[in-house]
Parts: sequence; C-alpha cells; structure tokens
Amino acid sequence: MSWNELIYYAIASILCWVAGAVMAFKSQKRWHAAALSITGSVIFFAYIIGMWIALERPPMRTMGETRLWYSFFLSVAGVVVYLRWRYKWILSFGTMMSVVFICINLFKPEIHSKTLMPALQSPWFVPHVIVYMFAYAMMGAVTLFALYLWLRKSPKLASDEELRVCDNLVRIGWSFLTLGMVMGALWAKQAWGDYWTWDPKETWAAATWLSYLLYLHMRPHVKDQNLNFALLLFSFLLLQMCWYGINYLPSAQGASVHVY
Amino acid sequence: MTLQWGYKQAFLRCALLFVVGVVLQIAFGDFSNRFLRQPWGLIFAINYLYLLIVIYVQSDKWKWMRQIYDHHAMISTLSSMVILTIIFGLTRQDPDTEGIVGMLGFSRMTSSWSFNILLVYFMTALGVNVVQDLHRWRQRRLAAILSHIAVFTILCVGTFGSAGKERVTITTSLDKAAHIGRDKAGNSMELPFAITLKEFTMEEYPAKLYILDTKTEQSSKEYLLVEEEGLTQEIDGWRVEVIKSLDMAGAIPGQAEFREMKHVGAAPAVYVKAENLKSGQKYEGWVSCGSHIFEPSFLRLGERYAVAMPRREAKRYLSRIVVIDSEGESHRFNVEVNHPATLGSWKIYQVGYDTARGRWSTHSVLECVRDGWYPVTHCALWLTLLAGVVMFLTAGGRKVAKSKRETKKQPLTNAKSVTKHRKEGKR
Repeated sequence: MSWNELIYYAIASILCWVAGAVMAFKSQKRWHAAALSITGSVIFFAYIIGMWIALERPPMRTMGETRLWYSFFLSVAGVVVYLRWRYKWILSFGTMMSVVFICINLFKPEIHSKTLMPALQSPWFVPHVIVYMFAYAMMGAVTLFALYLWLRKSPKLASDEELRVCDNLVRIGWSFLTLGMVMGALWAKQAWGDYWTWDPKETWAAATWLSYLLYLHMRPHVKDQNLNFALLLFSFLLLQMCWYGINYLPSAQGASVHVY
Repeated sequence: MTLQWGYKQAFLRCALLFVVGVVLQIAFGDFSNRFLRQPWGLIFAINYLYLLIVIYVQSDKWKWMRQIYDHHAMISTLSSMVILTIIFGLTRQDPDTEGIVGMLGFSRMTSSWSFNILLVYFMTALGVNVVQDLHRWRQRRLAAILSHIAVFTILCVGTFGSAGKERVTITTSLDKAAHIGRDKAGNSMELPFAITLKEFTMEEYPAKLYILDTKTEQSSKEYLLVEEEGLTQEIDGWRVEVIKSLDMAGAIPGQAEFREMKHVGAAPAVYVKAENLKSGQKYEGWVSCGSHIFEPSFLRLGERYAVAMPRREAKRYLSRIVVIDSEGESHRFNVEVNHPATLGSWKIYQVGYDTARGRWSTHSVLECVRDGWYPVTHCALWLTLLAGVVMFLTAGGRKVAKSKRETKKQPLTNAKSVTKHRKEGKR
C-alpha cells in the first residue's frame, strides 16, 4: 500500500459517506444512513491499516499521516453523534470536512519513511495521536456548526437545543483533548523524565485546552451568543496553531521536539 | 455587550495582578522558586491548602473572599491564562532576549512574575472551588469535580514540588564508574550512586540513498531504502540500482573499493549503478556514509549530481549499566529511550551517545531524575484521565436530566415537551 492507492479508497469512502449523508435526510431509519457512513469509514480505515502494514510502523508521524486519521475520525465522530443525538446535519458536515482533508493529502502527497525515532516507539504513541485526532475532529465539527448558527440569516438567535448541541460536542472534544494531553504527559515522563516542558507544541496545546475550558465555563453565565461563538472560533484557531501552525511560527523554529 | 460589574471587578483584579508582576519583574528580575526546595515546598503546600479551606469557610462572612473564587473570578483568571499562554507561544523563549519583551519577562515566561502570580491566582480560585465541590458534593457534577481536583493537584504539585526536583546529566564511559554529573545550569552534582557503562548497543534502520545536487547542496525528496540487494528506484530522473550491500565495510586507504570488515569503525557501503533516464548515461561505484574511521564516499553522476548516503538513523539504542548504591549494593539495568531504570526515588534515562561514533560509541549520556512528588503527580494524571472518560460518558446527559425535571414539575406540558423532542429528533 502506498500514497498512490489513496485515491481509489478515498473515492469509495466518499461515495459511501455522501450516500449516508443523503440517506440521513431521506430515510426514516437511522441505521440506513449509519450503515453507509460506517462502510465508508471501514474502507478508509482499511487504507490506513494497509499503510500501517506497508510502513511497518503506525502512520501517525507526519502531517499527512495525521490528516488521514483526522478524515477517518471526522467520519466516525459524525456517525457517533448521529446515532447518539440524531443530528442529521452532522453526517454532511463530517463528510465535507473529511473530503477537504483527503483532498489536501491527494494534492500534496508526502514521501513516507519507514523510520520511527526511538522516542516515538512507545505504547503511548498510538492512543495519544488517535485521541488527539478524534478531539480535533469533534472540535472541527462543532466549529462548523457554530459558524452556521452564527452566520445564518434566520432565525438570528440559536435555540437552547442548538446551543446544547454545541456544548455537548465541545464537552466531548475537550474530554478527548484532556485525554490526549495527559497521555502525552505520561509518555513524556517515561521518555524524558518531565511531564511538561513548555515546548511550543505543549504551550499551544495548553492555550487550546484553556480556551475551550473558558468556553465551557462561560456558557452557563454569559448569554451573549456572539461572544460564545467568537470564542469557539478563536479556540479552533488556537487548535490549528497547535496542530500545524507551529511549523511556520518563527518563535517555534528549532525549539520544538514535536517536529518529525 | 455590556459587562457586568462583577466581571469588571474580576478582570481589573487580574490586570492589577499582572501590573504587580511587571513591577516585581522590573524591580527584582526573574522569579525563582528555589525557596520552595524540600522541605519548604511541602510546608508551604500544607499551609496553602489550609488557607484555601479558611477562605472557603470565611467567604460566607466576607464578600471579598467569595469574589476570589466565584464564576466571575474563574472566567477572568481563565481568560488571563489563555492570553498569557498565547503570549508564551508567540514569544521565542530565549533568556538573552532584550528590549520590552525581555524586560517584561515574556521571553522567560516560566520565570516571569506576571505568569507565576496569575497562575497562582488561577490555582487558588480553582482550589477554593475544589473545597466547595468536596463540601457540597453533587453526583451530577462528577466529571467537573474530578477535573477540578485533578487539575488543581497537578498545578499544586507543579508549583510546590518542581523546586525539589533533581536532574543530573551524566556521561558514562565503558567500564569506568561515574558518580558526578551536571545540573541544567552546568553545576557539578554528586549522585548518591555510581554508574558503570558495561555495553552500548545500537540498532539502525537500513541505509538510504539520495540524489544530491552538489550545486545547491539539496538532496532529493525521494530515496532508495537499501533493504536488500537488487532493489531499483527512480529518483529525480535517475534509475538507481543496488548491486551489492555490505552492512559492515571499510576501504583500504587510497582505494575506492569497500570490503567486508567486521570490527570497530566499520561503515555500511553499497555498490550502486545509476542511469540517467533522459541521456542514458551510466555510472557505477561505491557509496558509503563513512564512520569515525572511514571517510564518506559518493558516486559522482557527471559534474552536478551524486549518489549520497547519509548516516543511518537509530532504531533503538541501549545502555547496559551497573549501579552501585550508597550501601555498596550492585544493580544491573538495561536503559533505553522510553524505558528508564528505577533505583529508589531516582529514575535513570537514556538521553544520548557519542553521535560522531554512532553505533561504535563508547560513551552513553544518561539523565538521573529524582522527583519526590512523582506518586502524587502520577495519581493526579490518572485521575485526569478518569475525569476525561467520565466527561465523555456523561456529555449530553443534561438534556435527559432536564426533561425528567420538566416531567416532574409540569405534568400538563409533558405531552408537548415529548412531542417537541421527538420532532427535534426527526429534524
């Protein structure tokens, strides 16, 4: 399995995801849409597993490899949220975002290396990355939903139920951000003897975590929707900085051990 | 948006604390936590916890005490921490930075007064909330309470325990006992045990062959991974083929040919054929990354290009060490990255080796860390993991809880409420 085969798996997955998203609105039975979406995710996961076998290591080291997981988890998060809360739009949102990240990988293919530096050879590596990617996917979904609620013409104000959806998704995303951060800390202690070293990646992870935490604390007390939505969007920008922004940030150049 | 007076007060308090921090920074320079070295860290921590309980108990009498940890305070301190952390991320952490950034301490954020004062304020507000959570336990808020306790414990340990942490880097040589290392500042530190390196071994990934542009000194993005003989790969318009591969080889001085050589300093060498896909020009010869004994060898492809092999990447490296403790007892350990050795309250980490000699290194760089608060931090981190899991499992539960409350309170609207939820479900 190599980067060249991605397009075939991607087309099959996207077709299933799109069909699932359409079915969510057309069919009365939830399982029709869910089954199609899950099929798409399984096909995409098969590609990831193929890469895992071919590379002889987890495909989680480079930005392109993490984008694969992001696309996969967006689709999984969509199905989980759809089955749990029956939000039909989530499948369309999840599909849209997955497609964007697949396209980035298709138009900007990477050279994959089999090497994995000793520090990354840890039992924490796989859960740390997977949990973070799932958190990013949830936050991506909630950002899109918040933008929709914020910018739509009518009704101008989001309902309590819609705001509750935002809160629930942020709560799930934040719980996964927390899990990822703690796993990273336990791993760092095992590898370098310190839980936290304020490496640029860690600093931005802390900023992101705190910002979403601020949102969760503001929501019950601050009723201004503009402020809440703006904070959600801002938090997502911090997340982008943490994920790949530090690769371009002058203050982080040569200062992070999180560059692989 | 109009800001309530409570928020204005809370944000002003944070701003004031920031200004106080700046003044202290300018007056006294960087903040140092050396005064919290053991046993003072523990003494301060116990008194601090007592103070938090006093604040909570007295807050019914004194309004200003309640303002230390109410929701206005939490939102303002959280906002302050977000802003400072962003400044932290945007500023290059370099102790030698001058100008306003250096003066404010932003380029040494963990040692800056403003950051530490606001962090302690955040921890205090959170701490009193933890006392309140424990006093007024509500099962419904389990995830939030667990998160509060875990994060507060981590912050507390970081604040009062980090000064007591010892970190000593020691370079060990084969069969020589060493017990003196250096701390982060470069000061000599004596360890309560002696370490002798018995063996250093390294496993490496297969060699990689790149096309090197000698004019721009840029190597190709693609490469050929020399996993076996006979492999072929097209790289930047050249077809490169591995004819012969030697894992341990050396060249006799003055000769271009490499021969198998199984002793210290041997380097990987590959005999390759390269063909230009456009012109059909062919070249062949030995390529090696060299070692501390042998020079690297390139295959020139005309005037501009060459086939090059960088040093092989380490897959894993391991130090077999013997540690003699203060009682004279001997302990044998294998130390490698992600697998530290534990000796009492000390942990010994593999951090480096002599990179010039690579797999033939006779030195191993180890780091000995003593962290007296390790069990507490570890428990707090696992508690945070648990809090994360509980938050995930209970997210979305509020809607159900509210619906149940509505059912009890308003039996007449019950039918409407159920219908509404069903409709929303179908949306």
